Amino acid sequence: MSQPIPIGRLLRAGTTAFVAGCRVNQGALPSFGALLRIPLEESYQVYGLIYDIHIDDDGLVRQLVTAESVAEEIVRDNRERRIVPVEMSVLTVGYEQNGRLYHLLPPRPPLSLDMVYLCTPEEIVRFTERLGYVRLLLQASQIPIGEVIAAHFLQVQAAHPDPQWQERAIHEIITLLRDDYPRLMAVLSALSEAIR
Amino acid sequence: MRTQIGYLVGGGLKENFRVRLTVSPQEVQEGAFVVIESGNWLYYGIATDICLGATDPRFADEQSADRFPPQIAQALHGQTLYADLEVLPILMLEIGPEPGTAEYRAWRERLSEEPRPLPIKHIPPHHAPVRLAAEGDVFEIFGKPNETNFVIGYTREQKHPVCLNLDRFVQRSSGVFGATGTGKSFLTRLLLAGLIDRNQVSVLVLDMHNEYGYDDIASDTKQNVKGLKSLFPGRVRVVGLGSGATIRGQPPDFNLEIAWSDLQPSDILMLSRELDLTDTAATVLDALVKSFSLHEWFDRFTALRYEGYIDEQDEKTGKTRRVPHPESVEAWASENGVHPAAAKALHSKLQRLRNKPYLVEQPAADSVSQIIKALESGQHMILSFGKHETDLDYLLVSNLLTRKIRHAWEKKTNEFRSSGPNAPEPRPLLIVVEEAHKLLNRELASQTAFATIARELRKYYVTLLIVDQRPSQIDDEVMSQLGTRISSWLGDEDDIQAVLSGLAGRQALRGMLARLQPKEEALIMGWGVPIPLPIRSRRYDDAFWRELLGSSNKRSSSHIMKELGY
Repeated sequence: MSQPIPIGRLLRAGTTAFVAGCRVNQGALPSFGALLRIPLEESYQVYGLIYDIHIDDDGLVRQLVTAESVAEEIVRDNRERRIVPVEMSVLTVGYEQNGRLYHLLPPRPPLSLDMVYLCTPEEIVRFTERLGYVRLLLQASQIPIGEVIAAHFLQVQAAHPDPQWQERAIHEIITLLRDDYPRLMAVLSALSEAIR
Repeated sequence: MRTQIGYLVGGGLKENFRVRLTVSPQEVQEGAFVVIESGNWLYYGIATDICLGATDPRFADEQSADRFPPQIAQALHGQTLYADLEVLPILMLEIGPEPGTAEYRAWRERLSEEPRPLPIKHIPPHHAPVRLAAEGDVFEIFGKPNETNFVIGYTREQKHPVCLNLDRFVQRSSGVFGATGTGKSFLTRLLLAGLIDRNQVSVLVLDMHNEYGYDDIASDTKQNVKGLKSLFPGRVRVVGLGSGATIRGQPPDFNLEIAWSDLQPSDILMLSRELDLTDTAATVLDALVKSFSLHEWFDRFTALRYEGYIDEQDEKTGKTRRVPHPESVEAWASENGVHPAAAKALHSKLQRLRNKPYLVEQPAADSVSQIIKALESGQHMILSFGKHETDLDYLLVSNLLTRKIRHAWEKKTNEFRSSGPNAPEPRPLLIVVEEAHKLLNRELASQTAFATIARELRKYYVTLLIVDQRPSQIDDEVMSQLGTRISSWLGDEDDIQAVLSGLAGRQALRGMLARLQPKEEALIMGWGVPIPLPIRSRRYDDAFWRELLGSSNKRSSSHIMKELGY
């Protein structure tokens, strides 16, 4: 089992989604589509999938952007000592309680400043074994769903030893989106990029 | 091998069942015999249509195979595009719980009789598995091949033998139809060989084109086709029309000659079109029978002079006048109050009949009675028309002979009925009528003996086997009385409609009939078959002859043993 990799702390949370923040210059930067987990207690943790990463500006950056030239130290200083974090928007895709995985919304959302960890390949394999979470992904309407799923596929592909998984997942997606032609086509087009 | 081809997704008794195919639509044909299994019941039906569908029409419109990698395209097509099979449900059969279980034994004990296939009355639930009929299913419905069940053909997909119950087949009049060149006469030969082999009915074939008696050469394959006489030399007798007739260069077993005294006015009236008779012919014929007699009118009338005058001296005035000869038609006409022109017209037309070599004053033997006797004693007759192939000959002879035969059978049946159970039951007779529309068309149907036979079913132990290529020309009433119908490909819409008249599921059968292969495929349907089914017809070839003759030899040896008391 590889060491858990902390990538930030929770900023704000709801039942269906939450936002975590981290420093710009830290070692492990989160990536789009990555699976995260937030342990709340000994035997309770919430899982989520990153669907957006953004960096806000502040007054100083605004001023620097318009400056004639910005010195290298200033750029580094601004990045390393910044007080504005990198924000990750995360979609809740399930939780774990007493050793059992549920592909459902968690009973309680995580709390502010809870540590957020990146899932290891083993954890990814374990979580994605069943495909119930795909439903939660597809229900979210405000996210670029095709891209998120394509990114997720790439990560699972890297972690997963089961060659059948992809086929099962595609079936699940088609089954769930069969009646929504435009969305299904968008998702499948994105997926075609990922698995080509 | 029981492979599932799909599952039930909808439909009912009024509309057909809809079955979602789980195999490629190319693996199932229209007309396939399918079985739906559910709980304690089996449901039997035939595929009447196969159609493509999509959960959303857009999935079908877009050629997504080009857009996506194969695995995605495959998954997408698998889930959004499908083929539905339309199944016409016909029969159901209770099979009871799983054999070997306690429930099964309890069910068997409750049964008062072996379950039989019943007309469908309830339907299986959603998602009941559907498969193609296995050999056992075909046997369950059509019967296992044996003495009674004659293999008429094979299912088209899996080549399971399909049987026709010959005893049931002859219980009602039946028909073999099909456009020219679709193998109608081969089917008929096949059936007749089966019937003669089974030997429960006597067969009389009115063989207008001399096809059935002796060996023939197939018009398409140029191969030798065995005639019924060569197959069953001891049971079949060939009758040639007219003395000295030869059939395909061979002398017949005996010749048929008809006495003038057998001709009745109704026989003449039936030939109205062929003889070009006028409306007055009936009146003249009436007067003829009155003036001469039912037996002598033809001879005496046609022997009269057409014209002829004599000079007669008037006793009072002493003048001579020309008057009709006393032996002339005109003299007879004025004597009997008939219009002379009408009488003369009929007279000249009847000369055509008088000149027919098979119509004679005194036949050498009473060949009509000979035919009847032979049929009664269990022989089979093929009446070959030899060179007398015109419609006139065919109509006249077939009708006259059939009338006499029917009369004989009617008499025997009445004797049998009135004298109680000890009297011998008349032997059933099947009359095979080629070119049936000539005898059973709408104009003639009410006048010929055939229509009467077709209508009375088996009351007098005589039924018809109609062989025709234009069923639409046959009287509707006759068509609707037909029990078993076997039809090869038909193109004409009217013909198709005529063949299907009075059958359930006409709409579905219509398409099937129109899409039969033009050769070697036939649709069997009607009262005599449990399920209408397109079949690949059995070949009338060496293998068939060997099998048939082999089986009759076997039987005859077992018969001998029985007779010897073993």
